[in-house]
Amino acid sequence: MSGARVTITVNGRERATAPDETVASLLEHLGLGAQFALVERNGEPVERTRYAETRLADGDRLVIARPVAGG
Amino acid sequence: MDDPLVIAGRELHSRLITGTGKHRSSEAMREAVIASGCELVTVAVGRIDVDHVDEAITDYLPEGVSLLPNTAGSASAEEAVRIARLARAGGLPDWIKLEVIPDPRYLLPDPVGTLEAAEQLVHEGFTVLPYVLPDPVLQKRLESVGCAAVMPLASPIGSGRGLKLRHTIEIMVEQAEVPVIVDAGLGAPSHAAECLELGADAVLVNTAIARADDPAAMAHAFRLAVEAGRTARLAGLVEERETAEPSSPLGGLAARS
Repeated sequence: MSGARVTITVNGRERATAPDETVASLLEHLGLGAQFALVERNGEPVERTRYAETRLADGDRLVIARPVAGG
Repeated sequence: MDDPLVIAGRELHSRLITGTGKHRSSEAMREAVIASGCELVTVAVGRIDVDHVDEAITDYLPEGVSLLPNTAGSASAEEAVRIARLARAGGLPDWIKLEVIPDPRYLLPDPVGTLEAAEQLVHEGFTVLPYVLPDPVLQKRLESVGCAAVMPLASPIGSGRGLKLRHTIEIMVEQAEVPVIVDAGLGAPSHAAECLELGADAVLVNTAIARADDPAAMAHAFRLAVEAGRTARLAGLVEERETAEPSSPLGGLAARS
């Protein structure tokens, strides 16, 4: 598997990542490391405490959200 | 006077909750939140534009203010439950302002979907504050499934029309077993005072503050109005009468005898 590229979808857009990409490293690469990011993977929420250990797989669909202004 | 608002065992010392939406800038939002004296602010949950990451609203909130995430954008119970789960998993509080709104014109909540989602979320351990039409029967159903508060609207969101369903909200207050928080449609501080005077436990205000010419000053005005309304409620309002009752002796010096 080493060297193989992984294609995931982030908020509806395809993105190629390294095979060892985790939720945490993806957030870093997106410049969201310091943000209050909420992550859903294939329709299931990912616990914040598991961002670093959750490895992404080819075809994963991610939604990345955060608190926004609202009433 | 110690008169906390208690929701799910947590004491709050402000009976004003503010929304963070519709402000002209994050700085204006921050100043208004500070001026309001509120301890709880609502936020929505939205996708991040990962290609253009801009400032986060959470960077602008003052210390000591807690987030109350809402389920805005949910047209069904399933969507609302999904947002609540995502928010909690990502580290937001497990308090959720539940809103299930299928109707974009009047933004009125779906009572059936709201009850379904409330039952599910309470089962999953959330502290659930549902946004509802003023409906005393629905209130009892929501209480029975374990909601921590019930949030009836005064009039449609953003309309600023004030308490259009006053008598129904009075019934809810009279029979409430969990706090009644009037949410949506309050356009003026006098509307907020009226809610507290009739016995509502708190109010949630967003548009009337955010869209004021001076949001921080308006937030301060709402703070004073909420304190006035609550103080008046505890002081005991006089009953309305059909006829006059003199405040001064009628006899006077020119008494006719």
